[in-house]
Amino acid sequence: MIPFDFEYYKPATVAEACETYRTLQEQKKSVVYYSGGTEFITLARVNQISADAVIDLKGIPEVQVLEMQGDQFIVGSAVTLNQIAESRLFPLLAQTVRGVADHNSRNKITIGGNLGSRLSYREGVLPLLLADCKVRVAGGMKGEGERVVSLSDVFDKQLNLEQGEFLLQILVDKEYLDLPYVHLKKTKQSKVDYPLVSVAALVKDKEIRMAFSGICEYPFRLGEIEEVVNNTTFARKEQLKQVVGKLPAAILDDLHGSAGYREFVFRNVVQETIDALEWAQK
Amino acid sequence: MTTNQGWKSVGNPEQRIDAVEKAAGTVKYIGDFAMPGLLHAKLVTSTHAHAKILSIHTEEAWKVPGVRAIVTGEMFPFHIGPILADRPPLAWEKVRYYGEPVAIVVADHEYQAKQAVQKVQVEYQPLPVVNSVQQAFETGAPLVHENSSQYMKIISNVYPVPGTNIGSHIKIRKGDFQTAWLSCEEIFEATYSFNLTDHVAMETRSTRVEITPSGKVVVHSCTQSPFTIKKVFNQFFNIAVGNIVVHAPLVGGAFGGKGTVQLEPLAYLASKAVGGKLVKLENSREEDMITSPCHIGLKATISLGATKEGKLVAGKYTFLVDSGAYTDQAAGITRAAALDCTGPYNIPNVWCDSYCMYTNHPFATSFRGYGHPELTFAVERTMDQLARKLNLDPIRFRLLNTIKPGDTSPTQTLLDANNIGDAAKCIERAKELIQWDQGQRRETGERKVRSKGISLFWKTSTTATNAQAGTVLTFEADGSVNLNCAAIEVGQGAKTVLAQILAEKLKMDLKDIHVTMELNSQYDPHQWRTVASSTTFLAGRAVLAAAEDAIRQLKKTAGIAMQCSPEDLDVGGGRVYLKANPEYGVQIKDIALGYKYPNGHTVEGQIIGSGKYVQRHLTPMDENTGFGKPGPWWSVGAQAVEVEWDPKDYTYKILKAITVLDGGTIINPMMATQQMRGGMSLGLSFASSEGFIFDQQGIVRNPQLRTYKIMRFGEQPEEYLVDFIETPNIDGPYGARGIGEYGVIGAAAALGNSLSTAAGVELNHLPLIPELIWQAKQGKEEEL
Repeated sequence: MIPFDFEYYKPATVAEACETYRTLQEQKKSVVYYSGGTEFITLARVNQISADAVIDLKGIPEVQVLEMQGDQFIVGSAVTLNQIAESRLFPLLAQTVRGVADHNSRNKITIGGNLGSRLSYREGVLPLLLADCKVRVAGGMKGEGERVVSLSDVFDKQLNLEQGEFLLQILVDKEYLDLPYVHLKKTKQSKVDYPLVSVAALVKDKEIRMAFSGICEYPFRLGEIEEVVNNTTFARKEQLKQVVGKLPAAILDDLHGSAGYREFVFRNVVQETIDALEWAQK
Repeated sequence: MTTNQGWKSVGNPEQRIDAVEKAAGTVKYIGDFAMPGLLHAKLVTSTHAHAKILSIHTEEAWKVPGVRAIVTGEMFPFHIGPILADRPPLAWEKVRYYGEPVAIVVADHEYQAKQAVQKVQVEYQPLPVVNSVQQAFETGAPLVHENSSQYMKIISNVYPVPGTNIGSHIKIRKGDFQTAWLSCEEIFEATYSFNLTDHVAMETRSTRVEITPSGKVVVHSCTQSPFTIKKVFNQFFNIAVGNIVVHAPLVGGAFGGKGTVQLEPLAYLASKAVGGKLVKLENSREEDMITSPCHIGLKATISLGATKEGKLVAGKYTFLVDSGAYTDQAAGITRAAALDCTGPYNIPNVWCDSYCMYTNHPFATSFRGYGHPELTFAVERTMDQLARKLNLDPIRFRLLNTIKPGDTSPTQTLLDANNIGDAAKCIERAKELIQWDQGQRRETGERKVRSKGISLFWKTSTTATNAQAGTVLTFEADGSVNLNCAAIEVGQGAKTVLAQILAEKLKMDLKDIHVTMELNSQYDPHQWRTVASSTTFLAGRAVLAAAEDAIRQLKKTAGIAMQCSPEDLDVGGGRVYLKANPEYGVQIKDIALGYKYPNGHTVEGQIIGSGKYVQRHLTPMDENTGFGKPGPWWSVGAQAVEVEWDPKDYTYKILKAITVLDGGTIINPMMATQQMRGGMSLGLSFASSEGFIFDQQGIVRNPQLRTYKIMRFGEQPEEYLVDFIETPNIDGPYGARGIGEYGVIGAAAALGNSLSTAAGVELNHLPLIPELIWQAKQGKEEEL
């Protein structure tokens, strides 16, 4: 049970959503955008989140899009992980999000919610980081409407939008959809768990691209790591050592796994990924 | 014509009588209840594992609309408990675990109570935390209870050691251990451990209590122990036993966790604070995991000594049971683990010290198996390791030492063909099912390792020496029968089994037997508790006695109707008929409410069968040696697990899990099989995944299912195989033994043995996550 009262709004258009947000802000209310609601409900019932008002984005047609439009694959932010998994238009994304939570939860969890999650994993972003995708963002306090930017402009460790902005759509160039790919996720024990290490990888122009979650306290893609991975002059053992050395932050050490064990898993996963994609580099 | 030939129910795979309503989703559990005027209670719980309560400020909480009462510990500053009364229902003066109830808020609506709970301000002064049994055991450790010697003993076999954290110390001294130990040609010692875990029953605990204007206390609860609720309320709240009425409907899974009495006293205090109004108290999942009692942790050290040929000579067992902040049933588990400490092996010289240790962890209560899954993990891992040292096949080593009629148990009970099942047959059958002879460990083509592990186990149930059950049978005008009995249906199928026993005895169609699912303590005869795999045995015998009583009455009435002697009659197929000429008889429906002569005169009236059964010749244990007869029989069994282990990343898959149990006569083979599968699932989940994780301050870091993982559907073994050996128990109904807990007992041990063989390292701690194997392999990489 959520113990506090909150107002609920379900706008039908982007403009209405923006207007609602601004009005609530003027009333000094704390506002949360949401679509699937899994995170809001589960955190609210244990008093880890609160809000005076929530804006449900699901009624906006743009956030429900899941289709090819010309040379672009468009995913609305309120598309559920299961819809993405079943559409298979972007197989790497499909496989990656299928590893998040359990089937029932994925019926509710949306890609926008996964990218904006308070939990650090945000695995849905990994394939998107590899695909150099763009995002359409709406809202904001100034009311200038929508903007299309590179994902990397608004995603660094987490989704960093301006106040009042929300993610409308993700735009992926067609050329990335059918590249050779691998997704691996290792957990403490149950497959339905947070990742010790989750990796998404694809090969573009004979170069392996890799993005990681679980190993450090945020998801990332790092050029320096990819340089090492694609440097065929290294012996494998040395290559893995170098990759570990290039990690952007300390290896996580928490109740899911110690740092030492995570490093062991990470090495395995990187090796397995390279082994699986080696053919495509040639 | 109908004769008794076609009526057979015992041994049939009958459908459970509660299946349809459960499948239809129409069963009403305790928490489903709602009515206008019902008040809701929520708990303020401790944010520290060990701290003095300096003050509790409720002013802000009172400002929340709808708040009717706020109850704190000083309103009932007394200790309660099932074995040793050491636990204040609400913490008072200090808190002893993270999540302990500190105050109750009662409000008109649940959300109001929840809001107000957030606003109760408790000021604590942290105390040094006792964060492990090892630390608790050390001299000079901080004390969880300063005055344990002053606590009231509710049962005799509990021995707190004042000035220490020992809540109870149970000793077993059999033979001459010291001398025998020196004579052993091969010895082995190892230490095992795991943290506290939870039952994770699907239904979280829930209760509601009201005090009527005339002084009756009416309790509704999902409980395994309705009559214990009465006893506790009588003992500690001084309410006349007859004025306490307990209702218990179908329970949505219990696994031992609903055997203890925790929420009911809190709901009573809450109701009392609002003038006796009906108050509901329901656990959230998080509260159910840590505020309500969980499952013990354990640190066990076992030393076994044997001859060169592998004959066990002496065994020494030290159990440090992590009971958490209060002894509750952990004190009984400490005793149960001691009296069966050897496992099903004949060991002439036994020395066991079993300690119930106070720590600042959530407190523990009974868990399916009551100490036996835990001791079996330690014993069976030791057996495998000693077998390796002796260079003996683990099954052969076990067979050399299997306990048999003529041997004695650790408490020196003489075993006979009746009170012990056939352990050797069980392990032989398990050996066939796991295909042991095809090799215990082999590498597959995909660079994986398949390996097998086995475990042998036993258990007797330490019921109260006067544990008993009763049954009342009433008859409907159509000749069908109502079966009233205080056995609680927790999903184990008790009600179906009792109906089958009655059907068999009355030679009646099962569909003509109506079992009351709910319990009402006012009209159901007393039953000890629905725990300890005792229901088929105790309540089954009571049902048989009641059936005999009803048959005697049926024959008497029929004898009048048929103008013959009752001795010449038999009952079956819904009729009472002449033995010599079964075609000549009377329908039960025509005499169920008495026999009516053609002129309207009626004699005998309705049939009411009653029956009872009480344990025979049980004794408590001697304080210094453990000598005594604590339980009526031992069921024995063997389990085996096959895993596929990946030497590259140490992950594994459970391929097969096998149980072979000597359950005596199996009343319902389909349900019994399913019960073994369920038991294995619980045991494998506990062994592979579960365990509370504590930080340095004793705070539980994973008190929710987001982070406390249980085995999910789809992660179960690819195959569960179950078989039964049926050595009848003369005392049991139709030769049945208790089987309820047994599927869980050897699961952790079999998994541990199989993974240790696969990985080539000894895995002596739970849960068996890949990281644990990785740790054990550290520095041994070159072996691969």
